[in-house]
Amino acid sequence: MDWIVQIIGGLAEQIVFIITIIIFTSYLFLMIFSAIALRIYLRKNSYVDYNTIIASPAVPTVSVIAPAFNESASIVESIRTLLSLYYRNLEIIIVNDGSTDDTLQKIIDTYEMEKVNYYFDYRLPCERIRGVYKSNSRSFKKLILVDKRNGGKADALNAGLNVTANDLVVTVDADSIVEKDALLKMVKPFLEEKEEKVVATGGVIRIANSCEISGGQIKKIHLPKKFLPRVQVLEYTRAFLIGRMAWSALDGLMLISGALGMFDREILVRAGGYSTKTVGEDMEIVVRIRRYMSERKRKYRVQYIPDPLCWTEVPADIKNLAKQRSRWTRGTMETLWTHRKLFFNPKYGTLGILGYSFWFFFEWLAPLVEFFGILFFIFLTITGKLNTPFFFLLLGFVYFFAVSLSIWAVFFEEITFHKYEKRRDVIKLIITAFLEPIFFHPLVMLMNVKGNIDKIFNKKEWGSMKRHGFSENKKPGSTVKSKKVE
Amino acid sequence: MFLMIHMGIGKVWKLLLLKDIEPGASQDWLTSLGALGERIRDVFEKSPTLIVALYTVIFYSIITLMVLTVFILLNRRKMEKTQVLEDELNEKYQGLLVDYFFRKDIADKVEKELKRIANSEFNRGILINQIIDMSVNMQDKEKAQLKDLYIKLGLKEDSLKKVYSKKWHENIKGFRELAFMNIREANERIIKLLNSPNRILRMEAQIALVRLSDENPYKFLDFLDQPLSVWEQITIHELLIQHNLSAPDFSQWLKSSNLTIVRFSLQMIARFNQTAALPGVLSLLKHDDDTVRKEAIRTCGELGQKEALPVLSEIYYDEEHQNKEEVLKAFGKVPDATYLEFLNGVLDAEDDVRLQILATKAMENLDEPGVARLIKLMKSKSEYKNYRIIIRHVLDRRIY
Repeated sequence: MDWIVQIIGGLAEQIVFIITIIIFTSYLFLMIFSAIALRIYLRKNSYVDYNTIIASPAVPTVSVIAPAFNESASIVESIRTLLSLYYRNLEIIIVNDGSTDDTLQKIIDTYEMEKVNYYFDYRLPCERIRGVYKSNSRSFKKLILVDKRNGGKADALNAGLNVTANDLVVTVDADSIVEKDALLKMVKPFLEEKEEKVVATGGVIRIANSCEISGGQIKKIHLPKKFLPRVQVLEYTRAFLIGRMAWSALDGLMLISGALGMFDREILVRAGGYSTKTVGEDMEIVVRIRRYMSERKRKYRVQYIPDPLCWTEVPADIKNLAKQRSRWTRGTMETLWTHRKLFFNPKYGTLGILGYSFWFFFEWLAPLVEFFGILFFIFLTITGKLNTPFFFLLLGFVYFFAVSLSIWAVFFEEITFHKYEKRRDVIKLIITAFLEPIFFHPLVMLMNVKGNIDKIFNKKEWGSMKRHGFSENKKPGSTVKSKKVE
Repeated sequence: MFLMIHMGIGKVWKLLLLKDIEPGASQDWLTSLGALGERIRDVFEKSPTLIVALYTVIFYSIITLMVLTVFILLNRRKMEKTQVLEDELNEKYQGLLVDYFFRKDIADKVEKELKRIANSEFNRGILINQIIDMSVNMQDKEKAQLKDLYIKLGLKEDSLKKVYSKKWHENIKGFRELAFMNIREANERIIKLLNSPNRILRMEAQIALVRLSDENPYKFLDFLDQPLSVWEQITIHELLIQHNLSAPDFSQWLKSSNLTIVRFSLQMIARFNQTAALPGVLSLLKHDDDTVRKEAIRTCGELGQKEALPVLSEIYYDEEHQNKEEVLKAFGKVPDATYLEFLNGVLDAEDDVRLQILATKAMENLDEPGVARLIKLMKSKSEYKNYRIIIRHVLDRRIY
């Protein structure tokens, strides 16, 4: 028995150790690539005047598509925010995805909407569109309201795509707060394209919990008061400023956040639109578009912008966080499975060799390995076979490396966009970096494991959370984000 | 955990010092190193190299996070101060510049005050930005006054310094400032940078020369071998508009081998309504590249010349979807009842919603004959096409 434990123990230890080293080395490289890409970006944008494109008639036409499901509490304010975006050739399409509350009526009443004789086809399959509305008021001329049967977020986005004919589409969560100049920054890579076709752009998503909001805009930025949202600020900063920035530079970006992304409409439609079969439609569409372009041997680029472009509310309690993380894990698994052909496939370049593999091993597999590693640690402790000094040394190694990585992310934020103005907030963020590996990371790991179990049992719930809405007259309890009613 | 790590560090420290090596034992470094390795192996039951590597990473991680934390906090203090100063300067400059223009009696005093405040590179940088922002919305006379002030305050030297900087993004800032102020002293340097290995710098130098050079400033379009991005095209166009520069005859580049230049020229022909270029534009309707054809079709529509319509109707059925859209849009912009049957034919033949809508819209733009035909179609009962829905969409004024 002893020798079996010894062999398995040795093997497990080696695997965990090797994976840890590979993960950390990867992060180290990502950090270096990110630093280089950030430096180039900042230099390149230090002399840019976005006013040039505000006035120009040569800019492509853009449609913002925002699906809404039971968003009565915040929809009026959200639309106001979208209407105030700086862009010349713009239309805002709100898709009411079969809300069961008074979302539709509120929009109709506030924005003086009227059903019009709109002719469209179902180029992309989606649930029945009950009507298209336009406003009687010239002030809301660019607003279109699509009312359809409930079908989920992806279905609602497809409905929006069926209605528009503009060059570019921006998909946005109706409950997000988009920065006024976000579209100008997102469209720039499309305007700069030379040999490679730009198919999509995405930017940094920031956390709006505890921020002061007025008139649908962030007026004062604060670090979230509660620990859970605060630690997610750190997590988002790390993911966006290090991870995505580096993957974009390496041409391996697999995800543009569903909260805000800009796409070439024609390519998006030709690639088949959003998949209604996954809960991770934002990741799946990026991978599908990339496959579409690679398989046609077309030179293309998915560009990431490190500017903070959009603000969103994140789960502030464990229950909602667990739902969200379960959905993310299931979405990742579904996308990885659907596009398994990419796995180490050199035909797809960096995406196949690096991007896909990274997501497979580090985003999906790593939490599982970690979980089994902990189980094994418990087993070794019980059986008295634990190499205690080495275990704690390894733990120290993991801990300090993780903390230093977070501090690097805070540093990147500090030298780039430094959105948190108060010194106290930055100090809090640094302290949070020390606490995260102890209190937050194990939690997220368990939530990832649960996501795997949920997937095995074929759970399809979208996992939307109860939010309070961003409007000043906060009305608690609105459920946001378009979701499929099971 | 901290305690355990501390104990671990303590152990290795002890090992490194070899404190408990027996007295009289050999002390040469090779033996010491060997003993150290053995001790590490004893304690951790792992390779000494691995353990030392782990400790090294821990050590560097701790150092890194300490250094970064200190840097972040110090930098924060500096940034706060800079921000306050910047806000103050912006406010001051704005007030002074307004006084400079509207209170002629104290203009000299204002000038002295501006000179006094603009005593550092940072302060002058903010003043340059303020002057540029202000002059965007000014008439030529006021712009000239601002330029004088810019020179008198010695801001030109700062812009020149940027042009001669070793940093490429600083060079570009300098180009833009000089181009805005129409100061040509650094033209030699800018021309030199046309050969820079940095593609962005090269392009920005070209664009600056559009404003700063009198000798055929658009010459670069003759030999540009890299694509001219839409961003660069917009910048050039804005430069022409903003500074009221005379537009060249863009038809001279319609035969360029650089397709982005051909597309740009087509757009400019449309923007500046260079109708004399129509023959050249028409010749591009049969170009091999579909994006060039698309732009040529669009230009035909913008120029509003009926001579283009026979060719457009001729090429329609051979074109791909996006170009078909452009052809129908062009027919919408150049209404000619002669083509009613052609448009009706398109409406009958096409199954695509977008093309049907555009054809119907073009018919509607023909006024009386077009509308009469649409009404007739609405009343007809086609087995394969619901004209009613299409026409109701087009006639619904609330949609457009």
